[in-house]
Amino acid sequence: MLGAALRRAAAAGLPQLRAFSLSPLLETVIVERWWKIPLSKIGRPPRSKHRRYRVYRLVEDTKCSPKEPMELILTESVEGLGTRGDIISVDKSYGRNRLLAQNLAVYPSPENKKMFEEEMRLLREGKVEKSQTLSGARTARFLQRCHLEVGMKSDVKWELTNEIVARCFLRNLWIMVPPYAVKLPDEPITQYGEYWCEVTVNGLDTVRVPMSVVNFVQPKTRRYMQWLARQEEQATAPRP
Amino acid sequence: MPLLRVPPRLWETLRLQRGIYARLPEHYLRALREDAAAPPPAAHWRPSAIPRVLDPATGRRQRVQDVPIPVYYPRESQEGLWGGEGWVMGFRYANNNKLSPRVKKIWKPQLFYRELYSEILDKRITVTVTMRTLDLIDAAFGFDFYILKTPKAELCSKLGMDLKRTMLLRLARRDPALHPDDPAKREAIYEKYKEFVIPEEEAEWVGLSLEEAVEKQRLREKKDPIPLFKVYVEELVQQLQEQKLSESAKEQKS
Repeated sequence: MLGAALRRAAAAGLPQLRAFSLSPLLETVIVERWWKIPLSKIGRPPRSKHRRYRVYRLVEDTKCSPKEPMELILTESVEGLGTRGDIISVDKSYGRNRLLAQNLAVYPSPENKKMFEEEMRLLREGKVEKSQTLSGARTARFLQRCHLEVGMKSDVKWELTNEIVARCFLRNLWIMVPPYAVKLPDEPITQYGEYWCEVTVNGLDTVRVPMSVVNFVQPKTRRYMQWLARQEEQATAPRP
Repeated sequence: MPLLRVPPRLWETLRLQRGIYARLPEHYLRALREDAAAPPPAAHWRPSAIPRVLDPATGRRQRVQDVPIPVYYPRESQEGLWGGEGWVMGFRYANNNKLSPRVKKIWKPQLFYRELYSEILDKRITVTVTMRTLDLIDAAFGFDFYILKTPKAELCSKLGMDLKRTMLLRLARRDPALHPDDPAKREAIYEKYKEFVIPEEEAEWVGLSLEEAVEKQRLREKKDPIPLFKVYVEELVQQLQEQKLSESAKEQKS
């Protein structure tokens, strides 16, 4: 069937066809002549009419050549890549289909480069307000899910201060919070109970963290109490 | 065979010197001549990097000449943006061996459909492109820059030239139809592409094929004939007015 079609095509003067399964899809093909065309005189066109000069050899198919990355300037912070104004080097497909398509990046043309350099200079001089960094945004998101427990002793008189809360953040939640970034309620806290404290991340985003002030328990004692609770749970659990 | 005054191979060239072809605008004819003289794009062959090489046999310096490989541009290529690629129609040797039979071969480019966004037209268009086109667009820093910067011989596409004409017309007119409710953005875009602005009369002719240009010129020159009765009525009215004037002058004298 196919052979008949091919013969008919050849008889009609059409170039010979190959079955699709036999011809791989090629990207830009680079070919060269099997027979070199002789040098022409200067100013004369080369004599390339002979049919030999239409016999080509495939030199390269750019589909198989190594893929080169593409340079872009980010216009927004992208996780894992960088912040606004960074010049990044990404895969062409990712750059075209994701970053450029969603306006997350622009081409590094001289005008764009100059514009972003100007912006970075203003940012360094502090003339424009800073925007939240990537890790800062992540920290704020983490703080929104947090609950802080502040242990205070019962045998001394105390009043909660920024330093105490910052220390509790580091000990209980493993977050380094400088004392000036913490804001406590206006009325002084001297009783156990539930309160709020406000934490400002990088001086931009303010997050309200719920805080419960409870009796301080030594870590060793706490571990012992936890162990006791576990024992009791095991004792009361029904045996299989 | 009759003896011809002008050989047939010159007919095409001489045609431009007579009739309506000669009355086409000078900038259009100049663009035609420049496009005919422009070298084809080096899409399917490697131009040599150095002008002279040492001959391995004789050790003498020898000139290197680049002879472009003829590429066939099918009709589909005119309706897409193939970036200078086309069908390479020729032969190869079976088994890649010079002593084996010669086999016909057509190398065709791989085509993709891509949606491209034009800032000047504020439109998304879906066209057939090749990967080379996308690379060229990246190298030109944007689709509009690619269309506007690339000459006709490199673009190799009617669609590309039509887009170029539309963009140039918009730039020349500073068309308020672009972002009608955001003048600041519109001005910024026209400012960005101001290096490409050419006069509107020239922009109208960019990328027209010869047939289209001739039709345009014909419509420009076309004048409907005035019916004779209108001509005579005008003449009569003029005569009557003159008569009336002369009569009134006589009355004043007397």
